[in-house]
Amino acid sequence: MTAVVQAKGLSKRYGNTVALDNVNLDIQPGRIVGLVGPNGAGKTTALKAILGLAEFDGQLSVLGLDPRTHRTELMQQVCFIADVAVLPRWLRVSDAVDFVGGVHPRFSREKCEKLLARTKIKPTQRVRELSKGMIVQLHLALVMAIDAKLLILDEPTLGLDILYRKEFYNNLLGDYFDEQKTILVTTHQIEEIEHILTDLLFIKEGKIVLDATMDDVGERFAEVMVNPDKADAARALKPIYERQVFGKSIFLFDGIDKARLAELGELHKPSVADLFVATMKGTYQ
Amino acid sequence: MSIIWNDNTPIYRQLRDRVVAMILDGALKPGDALPSVRQVAADFQLNPITVSKGYQELVDEQLVEKRRGLGMYVTEGARATLMKSEREHFLREEWPALFARIQRMNLDLATLIKNAATTGEKS
Repeated sequence: MTAVVQAKGLSKRYGNTVALDNVNLDIQPGRIVGLVGPNGAGKTTALKAILGLAEFDGQLSVLGLDPRTHRTELMQQVCFIADVAVLPRWLRVSDAVDFVGGVHPRFSREKCEKLLARTKIKPTQRVRELSKGMIVQLHLALVMAIDAKLLILDEPTLGLDILYRKEFYNNLLGDYFDEQKTILVTTHQIEEIEHILTDLLFIKEGKIVLDATMDDVGERFAEVMVNPDKADAARALKPIYERQVFGKSIFLFDGIDKARLAELGELHKPSVADLFVATMKGTYQ
Repeated sequence: MSIIWNDNTPIYRQLRDRVVAMILDGALKPGDALPSVRQVAADFQLNPITVSKGYQELVDEQLVEKRRGLGMYVTEGARATLMKSEREHFLREEWPALFARIQRMNLDLATLIKNAATTGEKS
């Protein structure tokens, strides 16, 4: 199968700041990939490069096209929801539907209207009259009605309450996603979407520091709760992270045999949030 | 719907166990359709691959069958198959410990049967 996104040595500088440092990516169709990193790690820069919105160095191919030279063709197959609301505040809902219907050849007005009918949004309302959650609902309805191969979501649920956040992913999984589509999503609320993801990318200071399927993550990483008498034995196995709880030490290991770890204490599968904290330690110091 | 998945068993396995429990309870009967992969993925906020993997386990155990173009259905023999393996599991894993405990407490068969009879009446 051909990769949906393939990057080799992707780099981007803003003056003296390195935003992306020699990034390699290989995203296959039918995957839901989480791109996770602290603020300023390069997430949005990477997405901008993929969308052809920013210049970059290195090789990048999206659906077999170079986003720098084939942006128009690419935009027929790629959709994007950004963390900042981009819908103009004076726009009427019905005008937004007309506009996308007019410019996008793969847009289904019928599907969009069906999605909007499930919300409280009325066609005559203007964007400025909608709540933040409703604006995201509108944006999602517009985007989900486009039969695109790649959907890019940059902090799509930022600032939404938990009901809207659940509904957002519920819609994506129930009405949009199938094995011909690919979703690339960035979020800070990883614990809410970790079971949705098939693949996990961690980015830190412009570098990809973890690139694994969720199955691999379960295989590779393990958390062990260790009594003080065995703590030194655990440290000898070079854990990637250590923290203390109730006088016991909790160690996070990468790629150490589980049977060996089980001798030290109780094993757990770490959450993505635990992995994130361990991987990103020292970022803001 | 929110479920807390336990982190020591893969989720597809926990999903399989839920369906098994529903078949044993009679909540899912032979010939009943399972919800679609898409539906389960949306309801439980799981990726569809996880859901498919859980369903595949059930197919491999011949508890559900795939009907082309229609979806997944509980097989005729599902409950009987499960009962058999549950009974075997009970006799092999749980009964020896339970029996040892009964012996430690010097409970005789007659008392147990008498209690079983009254418990049976209450339920």
